[in-house]
Amino acid sequence: MLASTPKPSTLPALREQRSLLRGINLRNNHAQLSPTSFQSRRAYLTDAYKEGAFLKDPANRGKGAANPMSDPAAMEGMMGAMKGNMMMMIPQSVIMGWINAFFAGFVILKLPFPLTLRFKSMLQSGVATRDLDVRWVSSLSWYFLNLFGLQSVFIFILGNDNAASQMAQQMAQMNPNTQQMFAPGQDPDKLFQGEAENLEVIEHWSVFDGIENRLLASRS
Amino acid sequence: MTMTSSQSSHQFAQVLQDAQAAPEFLQGNSAQLPIFPLSLLSRQTESAELWNTYEKLLVSCLQSGDEKSAHLCLERLINRFGASNERVMALRGVYEEAIAKTPRDLERILQEYETTLAANPVNIPVAKRRITLLQSLSRQADAIKALVELLDFSPSDAEAWMELAELYFSAGMYDRAVFCLEEVLLIAPNAWNIHARLGEVLYISGASDTAKDNAETVELLHSSVQRFCRSIELCDDYLRGYYGLKMATNALFEKAATHTKVSAKTIKDLNDKASGALRKIVDRKDSGYNEDELAAARRLIEKS
Repeated sequence: MLASTPKPSTLPALREQRSLLRGINLRNNHAQLSPTSFQSRRAYLTDAYKEGAFLKDPANRGKGAANPMSDPAAMEGMMGAMKGNMMMMIPQSVIMGWINAFFAGFVILKLPFPLTLRFKSMLQSGVATRDLDVRWVSSLSWYFLNLFGLQSVFIFILGNDNAASQMAQQMAQMNPNTQQMFAPGQDPDKLFQGEAENLEVIEHWSVFDGIENRLLASRS
Repeated sequence: MTMTSSQSSHQFAQVLQDAQAAPEFLQGNSAQLPIFPLSLLSRQTESAELWNTYEKLLVSCLQSGDEKSAHLCLERLINRFGASNERVMALRGVYEEAIAKTPRDLERILQEYETTLAANPVNIPVAKRRITLLQSLSRQADAIKALVELLDFSPSDAEAWMELAELYFSAGMYDRAVFCLEEVLLIAPNAWNIHARLGEVLYISGASDTAKDNAETVELLHSSVQRFCRSIELCDDYLRGYYGLKMATNALFEKAATHTKVSAKTIKDLNDKASGALRKIVDRKDSGYNEDELAAARRLIEKS
């Protein structure tokens, strides 16, 4: 309901992202090329990066990072993240209120071993008596202890990505789309310049240096 | 040494077998998935795998001519993801192309793709369908042009680079094919089959061009040998790698008595190693290699 469908990206935006990716690929895997083909690729990419040939809007070049609020596409992304957060917040607070109403105010069990006074806040939330022995555990505290303490037990019994595991939900929320390469408010031109510099300082070596002898030595 | 000849009959037999299981599969999985409260009770759950299976089944059915089952698969995919989903659009294109009777129909489908792309130029699955259709209409030049355009805005697409390499290769533009294959390797650095393919292209361009001066041919053959070495290094017992290594070292040995980079002894050793490995592969019982490739390797050994 609140979640918007992902907006189709435009051609120049896609080009901008993937061209940067191409440079990163070249930087990471340059060893697969022969020296000549690496040199020609590097020359082409660094020139194009420096000129800003791949930029989404070359007109805005050099004006620094655009205000993320002004770009509707970035705005959409931020609103999406906020909506996702709200979707999590509302049920969480409802559940919290419900638990508070049901569990607050009574003591549920007594631990069979003595504890120091420090544990009072952990074991007796919801029961505001100063003189009560720390060994008594209030129901609300017991609820929380179980909620967090049983996580690993659930994982052990039910498998790694079960419905009771909250970690999965949190992970999913943390990382909605890894596709997004440019964070809003980042100047793509800066990224391109940085990548051009990275490419320039590469010391090229090739996996083919002496590969014949390597292969012959391996095991015949 | 071309790829197409290696797709032998037993692969098609596999496709046929898959497609014959289609009606049963389609009956076993009901068209309507249970909606929410019932879905908790039912055993059948929705998974990405199920929809993947539908996709593959659609293609298998079309290859074996079972249009009814194919249509059913497509219908379910459309019901689930909507007709405007990019991938579903491409799959519908596959279906329509397969049932098209006349070249006129294909032209009409091409028109449809073009209107779709005009509305949304980043619809990559449909753009790729269009390129394939251009190829099957044997308009190779248009296909190359479209692929170059696609790669201009999406240069991190290994599949498209590969396709372009094959197109250039079949057009005889070997140096361009080499460039494209190198791009593929930048995206997938450890793909030994691509290394071997690159070696094959280099070998063919080195062996075919008699007009070139000797040094350049030797250079090509040498890098071809290196590519084959790399592919074997990445994958032991790689038949195509050893086959290519043997061919390339043979050619290099003939051409370059005066070759300075590698000694003649190294080339000889590599050739021997390749022969030994090929013999071992050929002698092995039910090794799971492609029959045609095994036969070719056998012929090569007998000749030497």
